[in-house]
Formats: sequence, C-alpha cells, structure tokens
Amino acid sequence: MKHNKYLSEADDTFLIYQFISEGPKGLVRKSVIFSDTNVENVYNLAFGDYDPMTDTLDDLSNTNNGDSKKVLATVAATIYTFTEKYPEAWITATGSTKARTRLYQMGIANNLAEIVKDFVIFGYNCKGYWEQFIVGEQYEVYLLTRK
Amino acid sequence: MKTSEFKNSKGVTVVVNKELNKLRGREFFPEKLKKVNEILAKSGLPKLDR
Repeated sequence: MKHNKYLSEADDTFLIYQFISEGPKGLVRKSVIFSDTNVENVYNLAFGDYDPMTDTLDDLSNTNNGDSKKVLATVAATIYTFTEKYPEAWITATGSTKARTRLYQMGIANNLAEIVKDFVIFGYNCKGYWEQFIVGEQYEVYLLTRK
Repeated sequence: MKTSEFKNSKGVTVVVNKELNKLRGREFFPEKLKKVNEILAKSGLPKLDR
C-alpha cells in the first residue's frame, strides 16, 4: 500500500502496535495485536480502538476520522514489520462483523498485486477449506504468510 | 525510546515503548480467536512450498 502511514509504537517483542488516528473526530488511539493461537507460529491479528482507561480494544466502533485509508495502510504496514521480525509466522485475520470482513476483503483485493509480491494469501471459504485468495470470492477468515 | 526501522521495509516505523508490554498475553476478542482456533483444528494450514 502506498498510502501515508502513521508512526507507531510497539512493545519490545513487536507483537503489539499502537498508533494515533488524527482527524475531525480528534485523536483516537488504535492498536494492532498479534495474538497466539493454538497452533505454533500462527498469530491472529486483532485491531481496534484502544481505551487507555480500561486497557481494552473496541473492534465495533466507527471512528469516522476521515483517514480510513491511512489507518488501513498502517495496519498493513504492521504486518510487514511483524513478519520481518517473525518471517515464518502465519497471520489470520477476520472482521468483527460481516461488513468489516467485506471491507478487509476490498482492501486486500484493491492491493492484491502489491501484497502477493511478498505474501501468499488465502481465504477460508464457505465450503470449509483454505484456498488462495480469489478476487470476488467471499471468505470468513484470511490467512497470510511471507513467501 | 528506541526507534526501529527495518531497511528496505514496507513496514511501519516504530518507537519501542515498553509500557505496551502490559498488553501481552491478553485475549481481547476471545470469540474471534475461538473461531480461528476451530478452523485451524478442522482444516490446519494450507500446504506451502518455501
């Protein structure tokens, strides 16, 4: 993705990232977290608005800060940074709602040529198996790893 | 604070902040993680020639 990106903070293992969205709605702290799954080397990407008062993430809110492309580019960039640190890792990702999952699908489809230079990307289809991402197909979960 | 930027990277420039370490090991969206784990248990990972 060639959009501008936000500068991020990260923990010292590069599993957790935070950046601040800036726009008409003010400053909103967002987090990207790569969480362990039950399978070694497979991490689930969690993304949402971070509440420093409660140390929780909200993946349902719509910030409407006018910077969705910059936010998505920043999230995508954390995947590059994370997999530079953990080159053998697999990453799963899914939206909090079907609409969000479709939004991610559009983001992937619109940037697929760039993504596949460095990653192999799969989708979990309605038939219950992984297939290499096909534009226009509906997927429940996305999975990617470095080539 | 330490700034890390990987050479020739498409990644994000990060500033390491150890205060974020407190968020490690937590499950923020347990239902989504549960779904992913169920899929992984059922279907595993696709075969990949590296």
